[in-house]
Amino acid sequence: MVYDQKVGCTRRSHNDSSKTTEATYCPVGQAHVICMVSDFFYPNMGGVESHIYQLSQCLIGRGHKVIIVTHAYEDRKGIRYLTNGLKVYYLPLTVMYNQSTATTLLHSLPLLRNIFVRERVNIVHSHSSFSAMAHDALFHAKTMGLHTVFTDHSLFGFADVSSVLTNKLLTVSLCDTNHIICVSYTSKENTVLRAALNPEIVSVIPNAVDPTDFTPDPQKIRTNKITVVVVSRLVYRKGIDLLGGIIPEMCHRYPDLHFLVGGEGPKRIILEEVRERYQLHDRVRLLGALEHRQVRNVLVEGDIFLNTSLTEAFCMAIVEAASCGLQVVSTRVGGIPEVLPEDFIILCEPSVKSLCDGLEKAIDQLKSGNLPSPEAIHNTVQSFYTWKNVAERTEKVYDRVSNETVLPMNERLERLISHCGVVTGSIFALFVVATFLFLMFLRWNTPDSLIDIAVDATGPKGAWSHKYSCKKSRKTMANAKSGSSLK
Amino acid sequence: MAIKIFFPSACSAAENGLLIGRWMAQHKSAVVLATLHFPFIPGNVRSYLSQMERKTGLSLSVIGTWSHSKKDKDEKMDNFLGELGSIFSHQPWLRMARESSSKFWDCKVERMEGEESEDVVLVYYDQRKLMLSELHSASEYSEIAAVFDTVAKHQPLFAKDKYDEGPVNLTHWQSDGVEASIIVELCKQASVPLCAVISFFVSLITSICNLRVLSGKPLSFLWSKMSTCEQLGRRLENLRLISSSEKAQDHTTFMRKANTFLSLFLDVTLGILLMSWLYQGNHIGQLADALIPVADRIALELQELLQWLMGAPAGLKMNRALDEVLGRFFMYHIHLWISYIRLMSPFIEVILWYIGLSACLGLTVALSILSDIIALLTFHIYCFYVYGARLYCFKMHGLSSLWRLFRGKKWNVLRQRVDSCSYDLDQLFLGTLLFTILLFLLPTTALYYLVFTLLRLLVIMVQGVIQMTINLLSSLPFFALLQRLCRSYRLAAGVKFRMLEQQQGKPLRLLMQINPLPYGQVLDTYRLPSSRCYPKDSWGSLCKKLFIGEVIYPWKQKEEKQD
Amino acid sequence: MEGKVYSDIHGEEIRLQQHSYSDTCQEFTVIRPKISFRSLTGCTCAVWLAAYGVFYYTQHSAVLSAAILCTILGLLLYLHLVKIDQESLLLLGSLGLQKSLTFASGRESTVFLEMCRVQDVIINEAISMSRVHYNLCILLRDPADPQGPSQVIPVFQGSQPRLECLVEIYRSCQEILSKRSQ
Repeated sequence: MVYDQKVGCTRRSHNDSSKTTEATYCPVGQAHVICMVSDFFYPNMGGVESHIYQLSQCLIGRGHKVIIVTHAYEDRKGIRYLTNGLKVYYLPLTVMYNQSTATTLLHSLPLLRNIFVRERVNIVHSHSSFSAMAHDALFHAKTMGLHTVFTDHSLFGFADVSSVLTNKLLTVSLCDTNHIICVSYTSKENTVLRAALNPEIVSVIPNAVDPTDFTPDPQKIRTNKITVVVVSRLVYRKGIDLLGGIIPEMCHRYPDLHFLVGGEGPKRIILEEVRERYQLHDRVRLLGALEHRQVRNVLVEGDIFLNTSLTEAFCMAIVEAASCGLQVVSTRVGGIPEVLPEDFIILCEPSVKSLCDGLEKAIDQLKSGNLPSPEAIHNTVQSFYTWKNVAERTEKVYDRVSNETVLPMNERLERLISHCGVVTGSIFALFVVATFLFLMFLRWNTPDSLIDIAVDATGPKGAWSHKYSCKKSRKTMANAKSGSSLK
Repeated sequence: MAIKIFFPSACSAAENGLLIGRWMAQHKSAVVLATLHFPFIPGNVRSYLSQMERKTGLSLSVIGTWSHSKKDKDEKMDNFLGELGSIFSHQPWLRMARESSSKFWDCKVERMEGEESEDVVLVYYDQRKLMLSELHSASEYSEIAAVFDTVAKHQPLFAKDKYDEGPVNLTHWQSDGVEASIIVELCKQASVPLCAVISFFVSLITSICNLRVLSGKPLSFLWSKMSTCEQLGRRLENLRLISSSEKAQDHTTFMRKANTFLSLFLDVTLGILLMSWLYQGNHIGQLADALIPVADRIALELQELLQWLMGAPAGLKMNRALDEVLGRFFMYHIHLWISYIRLMSPFIEVILWYIGLSACLGLTVALSILSDIIALLTFHIYCFYVYGARLYCFKMHGLSSLWRLFRGKKWNVLRQRVDSCSYDLDQLFLGTLLFTILLFLLPTTALYYLVFTLLRLLVIMVQGVIQMTINLLSSLPFFALLQRLCRSYRLAAGVKFRMLEQQQGKPLRLLMQINPLPYGQVLDTYRLPSSRCYPKDSWGSLCKKLFIGEVIYPWKQKEEKQD
Repeated sequence: MEGKVYSDIHGEEIRLQQHSYSDTCQEFTVIRPKISFRSLTGCTCAVWLAAYGVFYYTQHSAVLSAAILCTILGLLLYLHLVKIDQESLLLLGSLGLQKSLTFASGRESTVFLEMCRVQDVIINEAISMSRVHYNLCILLRDPADPQGPSQVIPVFQGSQPRLECLVEIYRSCQEILSKRSQ
């Protein structure tokens, strides 16, 4: 199992994070300077984004310096500071498709190099294989001789053309990365096979959930009505077509069954058509896009959480639902079997009939009252996955990585050509050489000594928390904190 | 905070006396407007000052004493000046003193509450420039705007100088006699009856235009399509603006009037030049002679183009039957057009001669007439474009609807979205058949549409260039630009300070100069309203409309730009 | 010339001169290096050699005169519009802040910001396409609207000094600004 069954200390909410950081401020080993790179970050909401944010906060609490690099979101450009002095760079790179930047593998080198030098980064940690900027950063970091870590959050296929190409690119990107982190054992298998990696450099560190955000509703009134909640993006991957088949079937069998669907996507039309065809307007509610803070309120309205994904590396949604005290019915795909113990989840095959049977089983259990109370479920689940635990394990990865050596240029080229195939390997070896020459040119044009070292603002010892004697300094800090760049 | 004293550079050489000015408590600054000399009677001074206050609406009082000693310090004068403070009580009381030989002055501020050790900053300013200048970045909290306002509103004060006989004896920038220009005064006198005459004519013309006969439906539609009428209407409005008898209340109205007048004047001058060139060398005749062959040539070229399209244009294979139908249809139109032109040919020269006369109304009118003539001469291209576009649009709509049928979907008008729909077999069969027919006829229609759209776009571009020139001529603020070039201090973007020589222990000395408005901002601020005849669609939506086949009207008249 | 020597973000040498006229009045001038004779000669020679090459093939003497004209015009435009001689920031404690730019041809461009509009002076990190650098900015606010900065105006854009120079200027600015509320 991936989760940690020992009862550890839970992480307190963000409000008193400053107190938490003081209490848990324990520099173990050396303090690293970590740069998290991904295309996906706040204000975009999602699993990867919250993972990066929470992990960074915990690492700052443990005494490391963390900065985040992502691309600009519409108006949000420049440098912003989040809680605890977490510095985020919103870079002006063009977004191509689905929040992923367009990459030429060369044009982002000057800016990334500048950032790495001025912040004195020694580990570059990239997230998500869909993010072009993450792979770019890995590539440039290796050219500059920095240690690299990659976290993969998703599962991929092997059979179709797009998968073959993406897997090849992933192989190239990961063949000389120091360490890779996956969110479940299934995901580890998948990534190792896809990218032909050495399993020893792949670790499994799951995601976590903030248990104070997801608590059951103590004032919930129990009626005869049974509500099934589905919260996900309405896309093909999440099996919305299956849901379209389950709804009329189950609503026909159980007259007091209600469905509550939150989320938006191109497959919404299927659910609307099903609703219209079977006249289920009063029993199926479509809420549309939900903001992150509204998710808990939607979850506590239900009794059963249904997850119909066709592929999933590690489903955080079911942990959130279990933390709110719901019974979970899910498809048995990807890393889902590893997430929760058997009594909290009912697993089915990804077909309409099997899911209907699973739902029936859950409804029967609910009606007969065999289930533990929501509070009991919450108390057990909250200790499974904590961010503190994730941060500890990630720190171990960093300690291990910083003791390794970065591959020098010749070994890197050899590894590329031997590991990734002759054609792809040679093409990317060419890119490596081109990047190297470009880096030489940049170092001649703007030597490292010419780049001003950035003022460190992270954590309790950061520059912004220094107490000055008169009120003018508080004004300065407040202004600098909200200052954003112009270009 | 330091106390700022704004002192006019013209008063630096004044004799001993009192300082007249305004104290602004919220900015802690004093603006000195003039110095008052001996002899004076305090009662007369007070009454004069209160009279000024009533006229300007701003506070005006004696704010201190001024001492200019030629040789050594005069003890008696100092004491005398010190006693004056008790007669004209004002908080705070300024005491400025200078010696002829030195350029560093002494300024002391006396307050009743004590607080004597306040810093003083002395700022010199040029009174005349500040009075005539218009500040463009004003806000009500701004200190500089208050200073400008003070100096500008006290213009009646500057009418009185040291040569006037009267109870008060002032020194300020106009001390050497009130300046005035004879020419300006003469023009002002002459303009009154002229304005009356022009406004009478304008109202006459407006009443004629508003007659019921002329504003009937078909005629008004025609007027709205021709850009000449629009331009004439605009010029009429301008004349009305200029000839209005009331004086301009504020700076913006004055500038607008001046810009309009100069623009109209320039326009008419250029028009008259054009007219003289046209009529001198018999250019009208040459133009008329050239016009008919050109129109014929265009028609012939179009015919050749259609013949080409009916064959195998650029190697593309067209649907023979549809091709011939469309080709013949368009050829018939051209035939009609050629006969029409032949009919008109003997009258062209006369028409042009009379139209040429209208150039005296202005170059912009002449250009708009040219634009209208081009539109008339290429009317057949416009017709072809509309036919082609409608046909193509109909085809595209049909295709998209049948494509949806092909996939088993339909457009839900109620929900405004694409829904799935189960069709009967015969519906599907018929739909697919029609779809195939339309699809295979698409290249032919698309080609005709493409050709005529390109021609239409060409004509639109030419008209657009002419329209942009007209807009430029009508909306450029010539007066403002001239003013910025020659008298740049009149249009101020702000001020700039220059540090003068300093001496330890003496107050800080600064020179305040006017920072003129940059040319770009002059254009932006004073641009005259013009009807924006630019395409109101962005490039993206234009391309989309062209692709679908929607008829584009790029010159839909927008609302007049509100100033 | 007096004044401390610093470097700008491109590595060139700049000089910072600080005049203190009084407690509340200070002026900071950043002086950039003058146009270098070598680069001027190099450019001119390159253009003329190219023109001569073209002349050799086409035998048009207009090419040569065009090259000379271009060089002169180019130099004039460069001196008048591009080459910055010095930049200065004048702090008048009770009146406001004035920033001015002097070009090599003598042209001056000045902006004066009144004290009621100035909220604060800060050091800001700016991201451009190839670098992240520090610059000094003036935060303006709308006097009617207490909400917060409405505009950010960067200073020393032409000379772009490095952080240590900016910190010097920043400290003095903060001293003067803190006195204005007293």
